[in-house]
Amino acid sequence: MSSFSARVKRVINDNELHIALSRATAQLRSSRSASLSSLENADLIRDMARRAKLNILHDLDEHLLKFEQRLIDNGVQVHWAEKGTDACEIVIKIAQKHRIKKVLKSKSMVTEEIHLNDALIKTGLNVVETDLGEYIVQLADDRPSHIITPIIHMTREKVGEIMHRSLNVPYTNDIPKLARYAREELRKEFLNADMGITGANFGVVETGTICLVTNEGNGRMVTTLPKIHIVLMGLEKLVPTLADLDLMLKILARSATGQKLTSYTTLIHGPGDREDSVSPEEVHVILLDNGRTSILGSEQAEILGCIRCGACLNVCPVYKSIGGHAYGDVYAGPIGSIVTPGLKGLAEWKDLPFASTLCYACNEVCPVRLDIPEMLLSLRKKIIREEKIPLGLKLGMKGFGIITSHPKLYKIMRKISSLFLSLISKDGWIKSFPTKWWIPTGFLNGWTQVRDFKIPARKSFQDMWIERKKSHE
Amino acid sequence: MNSSGFADSKSAILSRIKQSKLSAKLPNAEPGLPERIEYPSLNEEELLSRFLEELKALEVDCYIESSPENVRRRIKSFIHGKSILSWDAQCLPYDTGAILEKEKVFYESDEINIQAQAEIGLTGCDAAIAETGSLALIQKKGQSRTASLLPFVHIAVVKKNAIYLSMGEFYAKNGKDITGAPCINIVTGPSRTADIELTLTLGVHGPGKVIVVIGP
Repeated sequence: MSSFSARVKRVINDNELHIALSRATAQLRSSRSASLSSLENADLIRDMARRAKLNILHDLDEHLLKFEQRLIDNGVQVHWAEKGTDACEIVIKIAQKHRIKKVLKSKSMVTEEIHLNDALIKTGLNVVETDLGEYIVQLADDRPSHIITPIIHMTREKVGEIMHRSLNVPYTNDIPKLARYAREELRKEFLNADMGITGANFGVVETGTICLVTNEGNGRMVTTLPKIHIVLMGLEKLVPTLADLDLMLKILARSATGQKLTSYTTLIHGPGDREDSVSPEEVHVILLDNGRTSILGSEQAEILGCIRCGACLNVCPVYKSIGGHAYGDVYAGPIGSIVTPGLKGLAEWKDLPFASTLCYACNEVCPVRLDIPEMLLSLRKKIIREEKIPLGLKLGMKGFGIITSHPKLYKIMRKISSLFLSLISKDGWIKSFPTKWWIPTGFLNGWTQVRDFKIPARKSFQDMWIERKKSHE
Repeated sequence: MNSSGFADSKSAILSRIKQSKLSAKLPNAEPGLPERIEYPSLNEEELLSRFLEELKALEVDCYIESSPENVRRRIKSFIHGKSILSWDAQCLPYDTGAILEKEKVFYESDEINIQAQAEIGLTGCDAAIAETGSLALIQKKGQSRTASLLPFVHIAVVKKNAIYLSMGEFYAKNGKDITGAPCINIVTGPSRTADIELTLTLGVHGPGKVIVVIGP
């Protein structure tokens, strides 16, 4: 895995990506705010939705046991998986038992998280993604870059080329035509599918309901036509009651796409009678841990309340500049910077919590009011505490501490450094710091590697304050 | 009922949760919040007008008919001469099943590939949700999931007295019907995608056109 800064370097000069990202995020932002303002009692509903999620997390074990019992009562087969590989193995076993050849999937972040497709393909299974965006990702052998709109990074021309190349259809950049190609191709798959795999947006403890929302209807196809339906869900996806589900659905689509409700909200309770109805004869639910219980024991436990709406991505100045791929794993943006280190360990992902300006925009839009900046800060603190800090930096920070806590000293040092910076700058900017032995400022070049350094104004705020005071006397 | 050979996973996960709860730093919810959302109680006309407003925004065509006969006539004007995938006749309100006799109709009992050929899907509606313009369709005998899914056009017959303001209200008043059904689909407008350049496109997998006929 390349480092965060290497990944950023790869995308930062990609103009096409920037155009696609800024268009898309701007549109999602404005439809979100328009849609949320149409919700009566929006603030109250957000508070109550947050309460529902926190209640689940405070007693997650008891809720899980109750949820499992309801599922079993409803005729659902329940499986528990500690790790991603366990979940993959469970899916493979079910597929083998029923001699399944082909698996249809509806968009699911958690299956991306555990690399389910790779595992299934390795055992010889054929896997078809059915969400339009994910389907194109699969055809192009690419990766999704946004929770809600997986090909936010592609232009229509690119999509046209991909379909032309892989489906042997005439090239077009006409979006309705591209969608029709996908409808025709995937319809054949739906009608011949034996097994469907989906995630879950919510699980309702009280009733054992699996709730799944999709706009295209592929979620309905995958949960209706095959004889086996497997639901893979993170164990934090619960809400206590159907009334709480109502709250969640009121804020989810509004925050994600700006719709009041997604086109299809599917509530699943269990298998149907396949003799005289078109519905699965077996429904399986896999409850996945894969690092969630360790997040629960950390200072970032609150992040498990995330409902994956993607609103924080669309407002994040960092996401808007680098897109989803630079985050290095399936969960991008502000929540990704907390979830990924939480699930996979901080050691390899310690640059992600720093990929934030702490502007608090994510905090403001989060429908369940997760304190994302505070969690990023607590992760940063943890990293700094555990890291071996170089002596030079330690001494430097100590010196900085002494200077800034002594006003007179501060004033002198400010004058000296201001004079020094103006000597080595040109027109008020420094393109790179000198590295000569008698001016050892090379360590500051981390800054100028990616941007120029603006020298401070000649007159400081304090100077202006004193002048102003004098002139008023 | 753990059929997969990871029998210990459950206890391992539960004990990790118990362990984590000891060190968890979870905030508490805002105190003093109400138990539930209070909805204003609207009369039938108010609910209808709210429902219509939302349907319009979703680009759903809507027809309000004053008598069962007019409902049947309206539906006939859409389906005559077309192939239809329908709920069973006894599950359609206003005796709509009667007009199907002379048409080319498929039912859930037909082969799936036959069902998929239908041009129009015809269903009733167990409850309409005014604040989102949604149709709640409960799966039960005679009420297939496919009729509202496979054809490109979906026609739903809605009874005026089956309109609720919110989904929460629908859940609260129909608890048993909901939990007893293998599946409930809440349909809000046509199938849509905005995956390519965030450009709205209708009918990607499900119906691209939804028509609602409301009877007395």
